[in-house]
Amino acid sequence: MLESLQFIYAPQIVNGLSIGVAVVLMALGLTIIFGLLDVINMSHGEFYAAGAFISVSLMAMGVSFWFCLLLVPMILVPIGFAMERLLIQKVFHYKDRHILTLLLTFGVAMVLEDAYKIIWGANPIKPSAPISGASELLGVMFPNYRLFLMGFGALLIFSVWALIYKTQLGAIVRASAFDKDMSSSLGIPVMRVYALTFALGVALAGLAGVLLAPIYSVFPTMGRDFILMAFSVVIVGGLGSIKGAVIAGILLTQLQSISSLYISPVWSDPLVFTVMVLVLMFKPSGLYGGMKNA
Amino acid sequence: MHNPQVKAIRFIELFLLSSALVLYIAGSIFEDTFFLRLATEALIFGGLAMSVDLLLGIVGLLSLGQAFYFGFGAYLSALVLKEISPSFFLAIGIVTLSSILLGWIASFIALRSKGVYFALITFGLAQVAAKVVYNTRSLGASDGMMGVPILQIWTPFGSIDTSHPGAFFLITLLTIGVLYAVLKYFLTTPMGSIWHAIRCNEDRLAYVGYKSKGPKQVAFILATVVAAVSGALYPMLRGFVSPELMFFSVSGNAVVTVVLGGVGTLIGPILGSVLLTSFKSIIGTWTVHHHIVIGIIFVVIVVSAPKGLAGLLAKYLGKNHTSKEGE
Repeated sequence: MLESLQFIYAPQIVNGLSIGVAVVLMALGLTIIFGLLDVINMSHGEFYAAGAFISVSLMAMGVSFWFCLLLVPMILVPIGFAMERLLIQKVFHYKDRHILTLLLTFGVAMVLEDAYKIIWGANPIKPSAPISGASELLGVMFPNYRLFLMGFGALLIFSVWALIYKTQLGAIVRASAFDKDMSSSLGIPVMRVYALTFALGVALAGLAGVLLAPIYSVFPTMGRDFILMAFSVVIVGGLGSIKGAVIAGILLTQLQSISSLYISPVWSDPLVFTVMVLVLMFKPSGLYGGMKNA
Repeated sequence: MHNPQVKAIRFIELFLLSSALVLYIAGSIFEDTFFLRLATEALIFGGLAMSVDLLLGIVGLLSLGQAFYFGFGAYLSALVLKEISPSFFLAIGIVTLSSILLGWIASFIALRSKGVYFALITFGLAQVAAKVVYNTRSLGASDGMMGVPILQIWTPFGSIDTSHPGAFFLITLLTIGVLYAVLKYFLTTPMGSIWHAIRCNEDRLAYVGYKSKGPKQVAFILATVVAAVSGALYPMLRGFVSPELMFFSVSGNAVVTVVLGGVGTLIGPILGSVLLTSFKSIIGTWTVHHHIVIGIIFVVIVVSAPKGLAGLLAKYLGKNHTSKEGE
């Protein structure tokens, strides 16, 4: 009993947690973009892939992994900013902007995915882990990189939360989301704030890509597979809620990793999606719906 | 009729019907298989797109999981043809009846929410279904089901079989045509007006004394039937079904088709499907990366002409019309 707990469950839980942290990072970007801008970003997964691909290329050029962690978001911020300004704001004033922005980002995702195939090829690339070795905890070996991923991810998630809820900048962002007209009459450049918020979400997805590249391989459709999980997390947690994304992210990835022990790995995805559908049916606002009570 | 939208629809209908007949005659003379089969496939996926348009363009509900019902029809039809009897009418009949039931059940789940949540719930439902089919051994799992027999279809002009590309093209054209006519008929009924009202302002409807729940359910079930019957034709054309038919890319493609052709016109999606399929086949001869081109066109259409090709045509016809009036 104790042995199975130690050698079977503990590694599975740690694996689940390290993926959970990355999923939360993705979901965080999605939920910020929805909570503040009312945009369902279907291309979020492709920005996650962008982060992974750019880091692979940078590392091939000799840039160290640690520098990539800084450089990739810096590359993605202007791209996200430009996309919001040039495309999303074009359809932002229509009545059915929910659907139009969803369609628009869906189109962008299509273009990006094919662009990756052209630039990097369809074959998976596997970068080596920047931290090698494993540490022993309670008699079980855990890969050091996964331990780092959990610590660093938790730090990032905390920083994003603090940025939005504890700083002046965050107050400006929340004010712009809450009342666009009032904020702009107070002199806040609302449109620029929106574009920056979108860029921040996109940069977070890219960062998740850099962090997960050494664990999974990097390939053009990687975003599509991962975004489904991130969407489920955002829905279960409540669209727009940071707290919800964190809690749901950890719950769902644990559900995924524990159920793959008990049932079979092939059934863990349908299980997660079933939870998502059930939540949508009975509590569409999720566990902690709405940015306002996050 | 001076309404440019109606004129545009009429124009597209005539254009599609005449090009279908030209294709059929040319295909029969040159004994072509490839283009007739391609056109058949375009019609089948056009049917799927039409079901997306019924929900999105008429009622204002974006479904991101219509491939579920399409795949359901395809799998069920393949099962009937293989296990029970290779009969066209039996397969279509069983698919129609079961999809009414499936649509009715799914509507209770999906219609609990609207807007973005409706999009996500249909997406989630389809994901679950696709994964279940993908993992089920008895449905062929990831390999799908092969060996759907060639069937004899009884018509007043004699019996024809699905291996004949021209004949099956006509059968498909007729089936999709019937689905189109049924949907168009519904639009002329009071139910059609309520759908239109739901899209414009659902909350307001309650003040005027109408319930939106029932009509929405009818639309959802109808869309399910249209998608499933279109799907039922697929194994007859290709001889196999695969779980890819239920994947998100199929649903997504249908949405792209609708937006490209023209939201809310019902005929636009068929036009979009014909154009997209021919486009893919033309570009496909020199590059595998047709998605990038289609994606760019799609993005441009969403940003600059949200009503698609039918909308552009209506705008052009409207302009012509007013300039004549002005003379």
